[in-house]
Amino acid sequence: MADGERRAWGWVAALRAGATTPWREFTGTAERGGRYLPGAQQLELLRRLNLAGRPGPTLVERVLTASAPGRGRPDLELVGVADESPFGPRPVDPATLPDAELIRVATGLIAEDLVAAGAPPPPPAGRPRPWRRAYRLVGDPWLADPARAELRRRGRPPGGRRPTIYVLGTDLATLLAHAWTTRAFDEGGGPWPDWLGGFVGHDRVPPRADLTRFARTWAERVGRSRVQVVLDPDRLPALVGVRRPLPGPPAYSADAIDLVRRVSAPLGLLVLPEERTRLLRETLGPRLADAAGPPPGVPPQHADWVVQRAVRMRDELLGAGYAVHGDPDALVPDAPAEGTTPDDAGVLSLAVRLLLEDGDRR
Amino acid sequence: MSSRVLLHVGTPKTGTSYLQDVLFRNRRVLANADICYPADRFDEHFLAALDLMRMPWGGLEAEAVGAWDRLAARVREHRHTSIVSHEILATASRSQVGRALESLGHGDGTEIHIVLSVRDLVRQIPAEWQENVKHRSGIGYRAFLDQIKDPERESRIASWFWGVQEIPDILDRWGHDLPPERIHLVTVPPSGGAPELLWKRFSQVFGLDGLDLDLEAERANPSLGVPETALIRRINRAANRELAPADYRPLVRELLAHQTLSRRRSSPRLALPPEDYPWVQRLQQAYVDAVTERGYDVVGDLNELLGPQPTTWHDPDRPGERQVANAAVDAIKALLLESARLRHDEQRLEAELAETRAALERSYLRPTYRFREKTVRRLQRSRVGRGLLKAYRLARGRSSRSA
Repeated sequence: MADGERRAWGWVAALRAGATTPWREFTGTAERGGRYLPGAQQLELLRRLNLAGRPGPTLVERVLTASAPGRGRPDLELVGVADESPFGPRPVDPATLPDAELIRVATGLIAEDLVAAGAPPPPPAGRPRPWRRAYRLVGDPWLADPARAELRRRGRPPGGRRPTIYVLGTDLATLLAHAWTTRAFDEGGGPWPDWLGGFVGHDRVPPRADLTRFARTWAERVGRSRVQVVLDPDRLPALVGVRRPLPGPPAYSADAIDLVRRVSAPLGLLVLPEERTRLLRETLGPRLADAAGPPPGVPPQHADWVVQRAVRMRDELLGAGYAVHGDPDALVPDAPAEGTTPDDAGVLSLAVRLLLEDGDRR
Repeated sequence: MSSRVLLHVGTPKTGTSYLQDVLFRNRRVLANADICYPADRFDEHFLAALDLMRMPWGGLEAEAVGAWDRLAARVREHRHTSIVSHEILATASRSQVGRALESLGHGDGTEIHIVLSVRDLVRQIPAEWQENVKHRSGIGYRAFLDQIKDPERESRIASWFWGVQEIPDILDRWGHDLPPERIHLVTVPPSGGAPELLWKRFSQVFGLDGLDLDLEAERANPSLGVPETALIRRINRAANRELAPADYRPLVRELLAHQTLSRRRSSPRLALPPEDYPWVQRLQQAYVDAVTERGYDVVGDLNELLGPQPTTWHDPDRPGERQVANAAVDAIKALLLESARLRHDEQRLEAELAETRAALERSYLRPTYRFREKTVRRLQRSRVGRGLLKAYRLARGRSSRSA
């Protein structure tokens, strides 16, 4: 075995024992410890885990034998191990790898952990109250889903005879962030700036954030008089006939949502779509609830477009004559939205935390 | 446990669709010869490869959940020879290769053979660009070439291209734990040769000689010319955002590309730009030298990997607009015919639905039905009534609970 290979196996052994020394500073050696040398991405991820905590032996072996799921760079060799082969990707110094490469490996492992953990059983539906009001909640799904679930739990499921359709909404900047968040939890999708930029480029509001579309669709189905727009969430309980307030949507940081989005892809190869959504919403979501950080926000270069589209949405809703609960101007963001764009370093840090919490239990 | 597994791992655009079609349609003939091709649907090995490599593929991955383990279990159940074939396996990482070989019985008494069908890069490079275009990409040919020539290979296109085309690296990953005599290279003959020659080579390496196989192809992955590929690329750029992957596959890839535009054989063919030939020539020679040195079993002629310089060149980034327009007319005609077919289907289904509704209506109009319906509705309003209904249904002995 060549000296470089001995050094590489030495680094593998040291990382297994909890070392945090970067590859370029490592000088130890060891004999071959497996059929093949793990890739640079796997070894660097293990080093980051060692820096952040004490990964157990099961997690260590899972990281070393993991492959990055999906398309992207293949498992890379460590620089300086052998004479450079004319074939295959160039060997790398693992410390120079972009965080996105380590996130790819980590998301495959997190997806496995989610499948192993399973989703909690859905909360039991309350006994239907005979005097309940007939309603349906549509519009922003990130607002409507938790309210609907709570009403169902309180014995007030949606539907009934001649229901009133409540189109839930808020300012368009938040609606856009909610639409991306819902997509991340339901099916994955593209990064926040690309996703938003695509809609801005085509001057289109995403379907999940398009309150005009929701209202029009339901008006065609049940008549305009039974469609009402709710922009003030405090008014919703009275409208659907309950006294206690209804829960708002869970608040996640932009990095947490981006991690969910990235886990969604490998998870889609382990479970069917419905189960994937349940695992992301019910199992992964709560674990990320305490991750600090601002929510996704509209970048300054798109702020004018958002205001312009929000004004158009407000005017269309008012022009069509729908009843509006709350101030219609609430649709128009009046100040630069608080929020940010997800950052790979933050996403990786969350992924490492999750792996340290769960990755050794399997 | 299979005594022998022939694992065909690539490369794309080397007649793999034809081979897989023949194997799939002749499963029974193969089974009679104790050869197992474990597939209940044509794309079963593709789904298994997606599952093994955890690779999303426009929503298809949902059908791939657990597919590799199911495939491997069927291989292990069979006692004699099994064949597994899919070209995207070429891009598997070492750990995925380790998992695949172990699940097929490597190290447990099964003799694993790796088969790699290979073609010169002079033809593979334009073919791979075309495959990208047929999978929704809007990238131009020059941009594609620039990405694959970048030594860093960091882009998705470059990492995929070299993952499935760099022969010595593929064999390093798949063959590092196997003796060279169990690694078989099937070379694709040069263009213009006898069409059955490639099949003869496949037949030899998979041990199919002497079997009475139906070789009529139902599925193939035919090539497009320069204006046709340029047209599909423009369609991608215009329609990708609105057209879901599940609709793109049957409408653009199958109907337009495979069934319509691939029939236009007189248009200029895609080729390697002349200025890139010296670079490709060096690579091809390096591949041939590496394979020769390693001592693999070669079925065909390694010199066929040294593709000759193309004699004609038409830039697909600047296609003849008249030719593109002609291709577009063919595409519109195909879409019109398909729309007409769907309209006829829709009219037929509407007529059937109207007939069913009328029959249902007639049964509703009977006085006895209306009386029964009224009674049930009245009973359902009170708890006592609901109890009576329940008792009646139990006594009647079959479920007629309302939906």
